[in-house]
Amino acid sequence: MGQLLEVTDLRVTYGGVVAVDDVSLHVAEGEVVGLIGPNGAGKSSFIDGLTGYLPRRGGHVEFEGRSLDGLATYAVARRGLVRTFQSVELFDDLTVEENLLVAAERPRLVTMLRDLVLPSRPEGVDDVAWARMLCELDDVAHRYPQELSHGQRKLVGVARALAQRPRLVLMDEPAAGLDTEESLAFGRRLRSLPGHGVSVLLVDHDMGLVLSVCDRIVVIDFGKVIASGTPEEIRADEAVIAAYLGGVDARH
Amino acid sequence: MTSYVLFLLLGLGAGSVYSLLGLGMVLKYRSTGVVDFAQGAIAMWGAYVFLRLRLTGKLELPWFALPHEISLGTGMAIVPALLITLVYGTVLGLVVFFLVYRPLLRAAPLTKVCASVGVTLFFEAVAVLNFGTTATSAPPVLPSKAFVISGVVIPGDRIWIAGIVVAIAVALTVTFRYTRFGLATRAGAENEMGAALIGLSATRIAARNWVLATLLATLSGVLITPISSLDPTSYTLFVVPALGAVLIGRFESFWITTAAGLGLGIVQSELVKLQTVFTWLPQQGLSDGVPFLIILVTMSLAAKRLGARGATGTLRNPSLGRPTRPGATALLAFAVGVVVLVALHGSLRAAFMASIVTVCLALGLVVLTGYVGQVSLAQMSFAGFGAFVLSHLGHSVGMPFFLALLISALSAVPLGILMGLPALRVRGVNLAVVTLAAAAAMDALVFSSVKFTGGLGGRKIGSPELFGLDLGIAKGNSYPRVVFGVMLLVVVIGAGYCVARLRTSATGRMLVAVRSNERAASAVGIRVAPVKLYVFALSAFLSGLGGGLLAYEQSSVSSSTFTAQASLSLLALVYVAGVGRIAGAVVAGIMFASDGLFVSFLDKTLHVGQYQTVVAGIALALTAIQNPDGVASNMAGERGPGPRVAALRDRIIPRRHRPVVLDVPGQDGAFVEDVAGPTPVSRA
Ligand SMILES: Nc1ncnc2c1ncn2[C@@H]1O[C@H](COP(=O)(O)OP(=O)(O)OP(=O)(O)O)[C@@H](O)[C@H]1O
Ligand SMILES: [Mg+2]
Repeated sequence: MGQLLEVTDLRVTYGGVVAVDDVSLHVAEGEVVGLIGPNGAGKSSFIDGLTGYLPRRGGHVEFEGRSLDGLATYAVARRGLVRTFQSVELFDDLTVEENLLVAAERPRLVTMLRDLVLPSRPEGVDDVAWARMLCELDDVAHRYPQELSHGQRKLVGVARALAQRPRLVLMDEPAAGLDTEESLAFGRRLRSLPGHGVSVLLVDHDMGLVLSVCDRIVVIDFGKVIASGTPEEIRADEAVIAAYLGGVDARH
Repeated sequence: MTSYVLFLLLGLGAGSVYSLLGLGMVLKYRSTGVVDFAQGAIAMWGAYVFLRLRLTGKLELPWFALPHEISLGTGMAIVPALLITLVYGTVLGLVVFFLVYRPLLRAAPLTKVCASVGVTLFFEAVAVLNFGTTATSAPPVLPSKAFVISGVVIPGDRIWIAGIVVAIAVALTVTFRYTRFGLATRAGAENEMGAALIGLSATRIAARNWVLATLLATLSGVLITPISSLDPTSYTLFVVPALGAVLIGRFESFWITTAAGLGLGIVQSELVKLQTVFTWLPQQGLSDGVPFLIILVTMSLAAKRLGARGATGTLRNPSLGRPTRPGATALLAFAVGVVVLVALHGSLRAAFMASIVTVCLALGLVVLTGYVGQVSLAQMSFAGFGAFVLSHLGHSVGMPFFLALLISALSAVPLGILMGLPALRVRGVNLAVVTLAAAAAMDALVFSSVKFTGGLGGRKIGSPELFGLDLGIAKGNSYPRVVFGVMLLVVVIGAGYCVARLRTSATGRMLVAVRSNERAASAVGIRVAPVKLYVFALSAFLSGLGGGLLAYEQSSVSSSTFTAQASLSLLALVYVAGVGRIAGAVVAGIMFASDGLFVSFLDKTLHVGQYQTVVAGIALALTAIQNPDGVASNMAGERGPGPRVAALRDRIIPRRHRPVVLDVPGQDGAFVEDVAGPTPVSRA
């Protein structure tokens, strides 16, 4: 089976600080891959470098067999590689429904000109309805983001990514702010995504969630991959326990 | 060769004034985040105070009602007059700061800009009332004895003035780098806590900086009067090149600002010389226009180096409206408009027509600033361009008016797209300044062309026609004609209807998404640059349309209508009215426009007459302080008339029962039922 996403030796720096130090990672079609690591390990920076939000200082990214080098952020999204933000970043002046619609529509110039005189009905309503249903946002469709809880806002971010019908979603801590119950429900829905043709790279601190939904997990620390394998292997990995799981226990 | 040196030195005069004003603006910006467009007006006022003290010994108060002069004896010598003027400047700075800017310290940058436009209007208007509009020349202040260096005669006062400016720049740099006050200002600019930690109150630091800046303005007024004759309006325009210098200094560096200001003055002066040498150069407006072009180009190219406070995306967005039932609202507005047209007569009917035209101009800003969060201080330039294009179309008789209007509106579109280019790189207040420079360049280079604008006399406009029917505002003795008003209503309400529908369309959502969060917009596949260009084009179109209507309404157009100041006032009044909603455009046109219905009504009933601009200035500043989010947003609130108007509309034109897509919260959203639970299709 061909790889959907193939990242080779990705490097991201902030000035002199190396946040992502030659990380390689791949996601196959239909996979849910976890990317975990302690705070400041470089997970968000990895996503930023991958999607063009930060310049890549080295390495190579291939998506569906084509290079993403030099592609602008919007173009990466249009290729079907879509991300969410750790800091949510919703459109605060639009309702939840509109947040999803605007992601699904992407009007072209012709539409933009026609909308001046004869506005079209919304396109992509099916995609929106699907994304909304998956994230159980039907009740809040007409609310504004600021009226929602943090957990719900994160879900809107996920739904907005899904409304674009991506091939692969990079989720940066989507379950932060959800309680255990909600997190379990979210995990079940996440698990169903490959059935809809959407693969997932999941970044999260909720170990229960990550260990239960992922086919494969990659662990990074200080910008370097320290382990990768199935959830069982990760659970048993000495290096991971030392660097990460122990740390989690200590924090709680 | 020597004469080039001479022109270089002559340019030091104007350049020094740009530098001094610029230094003051940097101070104000660093301490309060205000880009003070009133700096030039304050300089003008200081110049008058000083001049009157010297010539008549009278102290001028910034007021128009009697008594506004205090006699301190007969004419004074330079030194006492200067001392009194500086004390006066201190008090003036304190008063203006505590009355206007202190309440706005935490307001959005554009709100502050609006307040400063109000202050500008106030001082200009009071000066016109008290001193008249004719230019006065002043006796020299600085020693003008010429130096002769290797055969070149150098006017001494220019050297002196430039020396003073450099000395002040050095003093400011040293103060800011090494004193507690400077440290506190810098810390306060980072955050208020920073200043508090050093143990100084943020307000007190801001006030001191403000006074210092006011003194610099006053001083520049005093120094420039002997070089450039004094009148109420031209000095306020000095802020434009001064702002250019400030921009180059990135709202931060005293040194660069000073050098840039002097440089601009020198370039202008050398251009005058070049015009005499190369006669093929355009003889009009070159020296005024080129510096702005330089600002425009450098700012558009100087990538994202601009990092000053407020430079990146801190333009806090005004609240947005959401049009409900635009069709019904448009019909109702049309009906009300026709009734008002018929009910009013004479000057009030004409004022109502002027209001409608302003609504159209304001719509351009609603789209641009409201929907996408961009700023333009060149809207009236677009309007002017459209108006003059219309005046040239007038010859082809028999062209239906809507075609002529369409052509003039479209003619402004390329200009709008050009203006959008800097917007791809600079934001917020920087963008405001760049567009102001563009407007000034248009003033100097395009609107000065006699061929295009007909010079001082302006150009006549033919009546709008529709298939042989005369729709003109005047015909024979009847003026203003209802039929013209109806034409205006149809065009402007039509434009408003389209803008309202655009807001809730796919494109509208994309516009608002870009305004809300450019980062996130690109994450959902939106390409931000074309969206911005699109909205600049649309905004220019609406302005060009408004310009065309204005031309028809006035039956003639002259370039004095479309100055950079006019654009500044337009933005201020639309912003204060509520730039995020179409209701704001209506409020701006009907209530705030200086030639509009409400102001004319006040004029007629209360006979404010000559005081109108003074009142307008005060009202603008006050409204900015009272409603940082725009008047119309308050109206749309729970208690205001907004819901009542909507209820009335709904009663007159009942809502049809059909699925409402994407309606406001709390209203029936049949959308959910329509498409609930589709089977997701896998693309794999
Ligand atoms: N803007 C920045 N400037 C400088 N260093 C940064 C910046 N952002 C992140 N870093 C550093 O880069 C490293 C990786 O940060 P990153 O945010 O990618 O970690 P993360 O794994 O996402 O952490 P978290 O779990 O807290 O989200 C950290 O050491 C962080 O301090
Ligand atoms: Mg992170």
